[in-house]
Amino acid sequence: MDLTDDNIALSEDEEEEITAEVVLKTLQSAWQNERLAPEILPHRNDMVECMLGQIQHMERNINKLPKTDLRATIHKMELSRIKFIICNYLKTRLSKIEKYCIPILNEERQRVESGTNFLTPMEYKYAQEYLLNMENHMKTVVLDKMPGNMQMFETNKMAEHPNMQSHVFLKANETINGVVLEDLAGEDEEIDLEEGSQHILQYKPIADLVKNGKVQLI
Amino acid sequence: MDPYEVEFIGENRIISVIPNFSYDKIYLICGEFGPFRAGLPINVPLWLAMMLKQKQKCRIVPPDWMELDTLENIKEEEKRSRFFTKMPNEHYMVEAKLILGAASEDVPNAAEIKTIIKDIWDIRMSKLRTSMDALMKSGGGYGRLDHLTMMEINSAKPILPSAMDYLLQIQKKAQQRLQQPSALNTSTFSQSGSSQNT
Repeated sequence: MDLTDDNIALSEDEEEEITAEVVLKTLQSAWQNERLAPEILPHRNDMVECMLGQIQHMERNINKLPKTDLRATIHKMELSRIKFIICNYLKTRLSKIEKYCIPILNEERQRVESGTNFLTPMEYKYAQEYLLNMENHMKTVVLDKMPGNMQMFETNKMAEHPNMQSHVFLKANETINGVVLEDLAGEDEEIDLEEGSQHILQYKPIADLVKNGKVQLI
Repeated sequence: MDPYEVEFIGENRIISVIPNFSYDKIYLICGEFGPFRAGLPINVPLWLAMMLKQKQKCRIVPPDWMELDTLENIKEEEKRSRFFTKMPNEHYMVEAKLILGAASEDVPNAAEIKTIIKDIWDIRMSKLRTSMDALMKSGGGYGRLDHLTMMEINSAKPILPSAMDYLLQIQKKAQQRLQQPSALNTSTFSQSGSSQNT
């Protein structure tokens, strides 16, 4: 009985087929990066959808099986593990959206035009509604009871920006030359990251490298 | 990140077990394993091995590095070297904890192995502490930590990155003070002078 399709075609444009194993590994490293990065990273909804499809497929097959303890238990355990990763990934993203709501919405508005959005459409809608609810809440509970000239909900002042200069641990997946660390005294230091080496440094210089997968946060 | 999340990541490692049952190939999402034949060793992920062991369906084969001589050598190497040495694998602590916890009867000299691994961990942690101290004292904004495993880095996570963040903030504030022309220079002296007179 074939319990899983190992090969999934990613899209009609790409000839290449990606195995479920690769999708799972990508999703795991995306989860790790998202947990450890101070800002919200581009979404990997394609991977999430793919995994969810696989999970549904597996669950259908497991239910077809008689209650043979072993195989069903093993598959169920693996599905629990995968569900944990997906849930935690989405939860982390949502909590970042809630925390940094206003800057994220501002940046996303610019990005939607160029087609490189970081949020999925559902997340974008969630962010907008969250902001609206927050504004209404503040207005009804506090601002309307303030003197007239203080009743504005000032989005600029309410915005909380992620700390791009917080320090993170990272591991280089490939050799990267010329990462520039800005020093406060104005002396920029340029370092090279060898493949497989681990470092601690500010998030800002390596933000792009995280986004295109050249380094992994640990 | 919590230690159990590091353990979760470490559980994906492959180890060898000897099942006491026979079964066909299993097609998991993370790969295919099998066929299982009673008495023949087979490679499976660590989480699967732990589950099989708890159901008493297999025996764990300790990994190559988990024996007295290898570990003694690693310990000596670690004591001698000023820097961190390469550990047998990225998640040695997770593997050691799970295997020695669930399957200590399958591992020869389990008690001594526990002691040696604990010693290695202590040596590395004290090296980590001294190097964190040195990094902070040199006002560092950057450090290199090769050969440190994820669990050890995770133990430093509550303290080192936030300490460096605060150091950066203090340095920024100090720099702003320097750059701002001080408006306090002569006027306060003359004022305090005059107030003393009256």
